[in-house]
Amino acid sequence: MSAVDPTLAARAGTIAPSQPDSAVRTIGRGLEQAPILRQGLGVTWLLAALGAAGRVVVPILIQQAIDRGIVGEDEVRLDLIVQMAVLGAVAVVISAVSFRWAAKRLGERSERALYDLRVRLIRHIHQLSLADHNEERRGGLVARVTSDIETLAQFFQWGGLAWLLEGTLMIVVAAVMLAYNWQLALVAFAVGIPLVFVLRAVQTRLVRAYDTARTRNGEMLGAIAEVVSGAPTIRAYGSGEAIEEQVDEVVADKADAQIRATIIGAFLFPSGEVFAALTVAAVIGVGVWQGPASGLTAGALVGFVFLTYRFLEPIAAFTEVLDQTQTAVAGLRRVLTVLDLPIGPPPAPEPVALPEGPLAIEVHDVTFAYPARADTPGIGMSAPALSAIDVSIPAGQQVALVGATGSGKTTLGRLLARFSDPTFGEIMLGGVALTMVARADLRDRLVVVSQEPFLFDDSIAANIGFADPAADRQRIEEIVDTLGVRDWIDGMGDGLDSRVGERGDQLSAGERQLVALLRAGLADPDVLILDEATSSVDALTEVRIARALERLAGGRTTIAIAHRLSTAARADRVIVLEHGRLVEDGPHAELLEQHGAYRRLYDAWVSATAVSRDR
Amino acid sequence: MLLERPAVSAAVDDPAAPAPVDDGRRLARLRRNARFLAAITMIHPKLFAVAIAGAAVFAASTIVSSVVLGRVIDNVILPRFEDGEVAMGTVLAGLGLIVGVGVIRAISIVVRRGFASAMQWRVAQTLTGRVVDQLVRQPIAWHSRRADGDLVARAGVDTETTVSVLAPIPFATGTVLMVIGSTIWLFVIDVPMGVVAAIVFPLLVATNVVYERAVAHHFARAQNQLGDFSAGVHESFEGVQVVKSYGAEDRETERLSHLASDVRESRITAIRIRSWFEAFLDAFPSMVNIGLVVLGAWRVESGDLTVGEISSVIFLFQLLVFPLRLIGYTLSELPRSIAAWQRIDEVVSEPLEPDPAKRIEPAAPGVGAELDAVTFAHVDGSPPTITDVAVSLPAGSVTAVVGPTGSGKSTVAQLVVGLLGPSAGTVRRAPGAAAIVFQEAFLLAGTIRENVEFGGSFSDDQLWDALSLAAADDFVRNLPHALDTIVGERGVTLSGGQRQRVALARAMIREPSLLVLDDTTSALDPATEAIVLGNLRRRLTTASVVLIATRPSTIALANDVVFVDGGRIAAHGDHDDLLRTVPRYRELVEAFEADRGTPS
Repeated sequence: MSAVDPTLAARAGTIAPSQPDSAVRTIGRGLEQAPILRQGLGVTWLLAALGAAGRVVVPILIQQAIDRGIVGEDEVRLDLIVQMAVLGAVAVVISAVSFRWAAKRLGERSERALYDLRVRLIRHIHQLSLADHNEERRGGLVARVTSDIETLAQFFQWGGLAWLLEGTLMIVVAAVMLAYNWQLALVAFAVGIPLVFVLRAVQTRLVRAYDTARTRNGEMLGAIAEVVSGAPTIRAYGSGEAIEEQVDEVVADKADAQIRATIIGAFLFPSGEVFAALTVAAVIGVGVWQGPASGLTAGALVGFVFLTYRFLEPIAAFTEVLDQTQTAVAGLRRVLTVLDLPIGPPPAPEPVALPEGPLAIEVHDVTFAYPARADTPGIGMSAPALSAIDVSIPAGQQVALVGATGSGKTTLGRLLARFSDPTFGEIMLGGVALTMVARADLRDRLVVVSQEPFLFDDSIAANIGFADPAADRQRIEEIVDTLGVRDWIDGMGDGLDSRVGERGDQLSAGERQLVALLRAGLADPDVLILDEATSSVDALTEVRIARALERLAGGRTTIAIAHRLSTAARADRVIVLEHGRLVEDGPHAELLEQHGAYRRLYDAWVSATAVSRDR
Repeated sequence: MLLERPAVSAAVDDPAAPAPVDDGRRLARLRRNARFLAAITMIHPKLFAVAIAGAAVFAASTIVSSVVLGRVIDNVILPRFEDGEVAMGTVLAGLGLIVGVGVIRAISIVVRRGFASAMQWRVAQTLTGRVVDQLVRQPIAWHSRRADGDLVARAGVDTETTVSVLAPIPFATGTVLMVIGSTIWLFVIDVPMGVVAAIVFPLLVATNVVYERAVAHHFARAQNQLGDFSAGVHESFEGVQVVKSYGAEDRETERLSHLASDVRESRITAIRIRSWFEAFLDAFPSMVNIGLVVLGAWRVESGDLTVGEISSVIFLFQLLVFPLRLIGYTLSELPRSIAAWQRIDEVVSEPLEPDPAKRIEPAAPGVGAELDAVTFAHVDGSPPTITDVAVSLPAGSVTAVVGPTGSGKSTVAQLVVGLLGPSAGTVRRAPGAAAIVFQEAFLLAGTIRENVEFGGSFSDDQLWDALSLAAADDFVRNLPHALDTIVGERGVTLSGGQRQRVALARAMIREPSLLVLDDTTSALDPATEAIVLGNLRRRLTTASVVLIATRPSTIALANDVVFVDGGRIAAHGDHDDLLRTVPRYRELVEAFEADRGTPS
């Protein structure tokens, strides 16, 4: 599986997808991003090394006890053995305490570092341009902050510790083995090390098998979800049994894939057993063949057998850890790729304050093209969504932007709100170039209201208050009265404190629009950009929305991205876009007379919404 | 000895907080655990038996391997180094035994793991199958009382959690055998050693259980907090336009960082506790072994033990450390598995509810469909969705059902096709199939063909004919594999209108005597809508058609309008008459007009 989301990589490089960083470079960059992790890493490693040393105490004690206390002596020297045992016990306690501190230090620091990384990532993602926040990318962005960082957390909880501990352990054990008898040590290494290759080979198959199992699991969940969400249709067509047969097959496929993966895994651990037996047999065989003449002792050989097991243990742990490490590096790489994405419109270096009072808007020769997708190599930009738009909107005017889907009206709205900057040209607000306005200043004075608005899973009051955290309850109550929706609020179970549910799903589409209008009202902007909804609303709410909208728009420069031509009919001025170009501009009545683009849109709309039948 | 590391941190919900338990409750819990284990292992008893046999061989060969090592030390190594001589045959026999026992041990692991996993996933398959069976058999009234996501979770995640305890059970059983066998063996070779084993093994198991429970609690809390954090991140990114519109980026980052810090703090607490336990569990066997060296030296001095025997005891202790840890893990996993199993059982053990379609009575000749004094409430005793509705639709008529949101239109549609059964009154229908197409067309992830056939069996000619009636033949012909093009999950590769037309073809191919279109055509443009309904009219001359309509152009296609308001039939008649005589109706139709979407 490729580690890098191609669309993101393409954006990072703007033109062509860049080469993904190597694992080493990725880790290096990751450490750069996480200074907490770097600090005191040496101390942590030293503690881990002390912790690992505890594991060779028993083999050494056995050797010492056999050679100096039991074998070759006339009688067992219990006093000496007790002394050595006490010494060994002290060493074990010290190493256990060191191990504990190493694990604690690494664990705490990694959690802190990951927390910092999460916060930085969230801040960065919030600053990305809206173009990076489309539906298809959102899941990926959420995954970067949640599951990708989780793979790192999992890594630090097991794998990172294992690298520190098992790695050191292997070195310590190997050193002790070489010190005892270098010939035997080489025998043990020679027989034992090939285990690494066997394990790697099995591991590769295992990873592939688990990938398949995961895919099958996804397919199974998808099939079950179909049975659940399609229950009415399946029932209505009496297709239950046929569908059940299909699902059972997918369920069986998943079980097969899982079993296959675990059976491959079932060979992983036993191969370690076989290697351990072979290595121990080889060590004993060679040791016995060498005999005492070579300086080897009985205790050293027995101790060596124990050391051999200690030496092979980390190899198995490593093969597991290596995979976890690969997963973690891939996760880190994806996280870094997002951090590399340039943030949305850059902040103004030396902001100019917007003038007081109502604001006029001037659009000078604006062209905008969305950055190219990864599947159009070689070209940095896709076809322009807007071409050479020139328009001037005086303060306080009510303007409707109309055009078919894809005409560029939504894009123009976004540029006016500075969710993106034009590719060419300039937009002025109150005589100041948008790029020179401080973000906070702009958001205070200009508000975008989507009429398919997003609500947070909270109360109505909290959703309105989102516009201005400083606003008290009093002001929220006032805005309810100002926009004339008191009767609606009073009709809700808990008034302003009613919960709206996830994405506001406890409210109807029209009620969500009312909350969005109240939210905009609380912000009290000078410029209002309305993105009209296409969804249907019941008649009573429609009346309320129209009334609230009229009160909200009054006295403010308002630009409505209109889907309903009844909105356009009410506006002071209609701007018609077609394929990214401004084709008509004027009052509703005049444009109708011209029998051009606007007339065509209008006629189509009227015929689709006619009340009476023309028979 | 190699490590099989359990994923301890995977805990999701709180597994049995270590509450103080009296003997009665402990007994009840034991009985519950035993019942659960018996129930799930007996789903595939043969696989379980083989896995247990493998575990038993593993236990025996583990003990034997340490005995062999002791014998080799006593009979090969010591003679060679003390006396300088050892017979070649003895050396080879010793080494052969080490390798031979190692191979048997390895084979027993393969058998145990292989069959344990086969059992685990076959049990999961059986459990999922039972849930799916229920999903398919229960009527939609049953479905509507349950959240979709919850049902999918029970069939998927819960089965996986239930069986997660199955894989380690043979191993844990093997470990128990190993501990009993080792203790007996130690008592046989030396009583003081046996006493040590009888004290140390249970102590290690107890420590592990305490540890798993102590840590699991914190990891479970962190896991829940991670869930909250993920939900928060999702919400914040989904609402990014609002966040940007109000310049709330910093505020949102602040809010989410609080959620992230909750996760961090719980994890750090867990790590602090865990690091002590890990250190203890690492040091404890070493300390025991150090004690054994002293004890062993004393027993050698008294002549009760040989050097090889002590070594093999120490070796056995090392081999047992990890299996003993797994027992702790298995025991701590049990409550989670049982909770998941109960959630599955809740769904599976529910009795099958009666099929409302079976309660539909035949209509008199000339009548297409009829509701006779029908009242319907989703739950008995709750306010009814529709009350005392009486309406008769002549065979071959096209009727539009019109009403504001929540008036009961869709309930009428589902009653008449038999998806819902009336709480009171009678539904009658002309003989023959009834078909309904919903507002949101439901497509399987399979091919166009599978989606039109939908469990039935039809010829290509019939398929093309139905597609052409639904005005879908042109676009299907242009798809890369025509009828055999895969449409993707929920038909994502098709547009809304295309999905609708495939769903319409599915209805048409069955030549129904009653066809209900529940706001089906809202995804079609008025011209296509007219073509489709015209085709339908020509072909199904005797069929009755019910259109749940929300736009004037749809209403215009009906020769009869039923106006539903507040769960009752407010008016029934010709569209133009209703416009003139029923002000509420006129108001509603005008609202539809104001709602019209983009004319592009």
